[in-house]
Amino acid sequence: MKTSPLRGTAVTARVGMALGIAIAICFITGLISHFIQHPQPWFYWPTRPVWLYRVTQGLHVISGIAAIPLIVVKLWSVWPKLFERPIIGGITKQLERASILVLVASMFFQLTTGLLNIAQWYAFEFFFTTSHYAMSWVAIGAVLVHIAVKLPVIRRALGEPLEGDVAMGGAVGPSRRTVLWSTGLAVGLATVVTAGQTVPWFRKLSLLAPRSGEGPQGIPVNRSALAAGVIRRAQSADYRLTVTNGPTTKAFTVAELAALPQATHELPIACVEGWSASAEWSGVVLADLIATVGAGPDSDVRMISLEPPGPYSRTTLPARHAGDSQTLIALKLNGEVLELDHGYPCRLIAPTRPGVLQTKWLARIEVIPA
Amino acid sequence: MTAVRILLLAAGLAGGLYGAWLLWQFPLEIIVRIAVWAGAGVVLHDFVFAPLCAAFGFAGRRIIRGRWWTPVTVAALCTAVLGLLAIPVYARPGARPDNLTVLDRNYPLGLWVSIAIVWACVPICYLIARLLPVGQNEVVEQQRSDDVERQPPAS
Repeated sequence: MKTSPLRGTAVTARVGMALGIAIAICFITGLISHFIQHPQPWFYWPTRPVWLYRVTQGLHVISGIAAIPLIVVKLWSVWPKLFERPIIGGITKQLERASILVLVASMFFQLTTGLLNIAQWYAFEFFFTTSHYAMSWVAIGAVLVHIAVKLPVIRRALGEPLEGDVAMGGAVGPSRRTVLWSTGLAVGLATVVTAGQTVPWFRKLSLLAPRSGEGPQGIPVNRSALAAGVIRRAQSADYRLTVTNGPTTKAFTVAELAALPQATHELPIACVEGWSASAEWSGVVLADLIATVGAGPDSDVRMISLEPPGPYSRTTLPARHAGDSQTLIALKLNGEVLELDHGYPCRLIAPTRPGVLQTKWLARIEVIPA
Repeated sequence: MTAVRILLLAAGLAGGLYGAWLLWQFPLEIIVRIAVWAGAGVVLHDFVFAPLCAAFGFAGRRIIRGRWWTPVTVAALCTAVLGLLAIPVYARPGARPDNLTVLDRNYPLGLWVSIAIVWACVPICYLIARLLPVGQNEVVEQQRSDDVERQPPAS
């Protein structure tokens, strides 16, 4: 079988560059999300603009999905090299092949686990977040090594004209330019059919997005009250929200919370899984609430859910976010009392935070001494 | 360029080794599962997906001629991408009865409609390509260097 003249370095280098950009965006936005969830002293994450995490995490999933057609075309363009002779070759060739194996395997791992995770299909029997994070370093490392090895080839390929003069055979047919624009088309298509879960304009077109963006009170749900096992306690007449600061403790009924001064803010809820939606949240400003137990604006605050102990049943809100004027203990969503699945009786909603850390069904708020 | 290459190589090795060290923290059983998942992808691509694409290309090229070929290959690429994206949603394997906001679309309909739209564009592209005048550049670009026009008849 004759290899298509369209396959070749001219296409590989150009598609590879686009893929490199997609991977870089995906890696950086992924790191941001990781460090928000695993805070480091050197990591600064602002509270403005309020949609910042919505954009970074939306980009994480969009760039990951965009990488799928890019990697398909890039591998297509180099696939015949797999069978190039000598198959074994020298030590240099073996090292290069090994590095490419690591690159392709780690990229495949990242894209498939990511794609399955946004559809909540846990077909793999390992923990997603930790393995996806560890493998992201392997993947980015392999990408950098690959660029280092191929840099002279890439430079030569980009310096030469796209269409080889004699390489093209036959009559009118696809040119390398056609390969490039059709790759772009496939990337655009992949984006449009999925990005509607975070970009409202595409909502109707995103036929393959795991979320339509609809849900009770206009917002999707990630963890239901049933799954969290909180239905009885959340609806109990004995429910109290306990707020503590060292020895000072106050308990509020839902009616008492509603009687406190209320604020309303338009804030997005942005899930780590790449969907997001903006909504109007009303409730008590957290800074005002913790002021009732004498806490200042410089303390981190622990949020504890009615949910039995689990990875996200208690989260820590950094002082910067805890003291922000738009951070609410929300009682209402889009003008209605919160539905159970949205965190009734009350939940945290703060700017620029991943949805998984916007603790629902709050039972207790603890001010951590600064 | 050598300095840039050394820098990239060093950064790449450092990143990769850090990732390998992170993976090493998992129990052996999990490491094996992760490796199998990653390796299976390479095998599936290199020895199933890629040969199938090559076979389709080889056969298709012989059946579909002329101006039809370009739009057909573009539509095939788009179909493959739509198919890959549909895998985790088509049969809604991640759906749970307690949360109707996940996987809340009709994905079979969505997939087939989007594929139908893609293929409906094929005849349109064909017609546009036929009706538009073919530029001289395009003709020349697609000729071999040994394409020499016939000599005028000797008088």
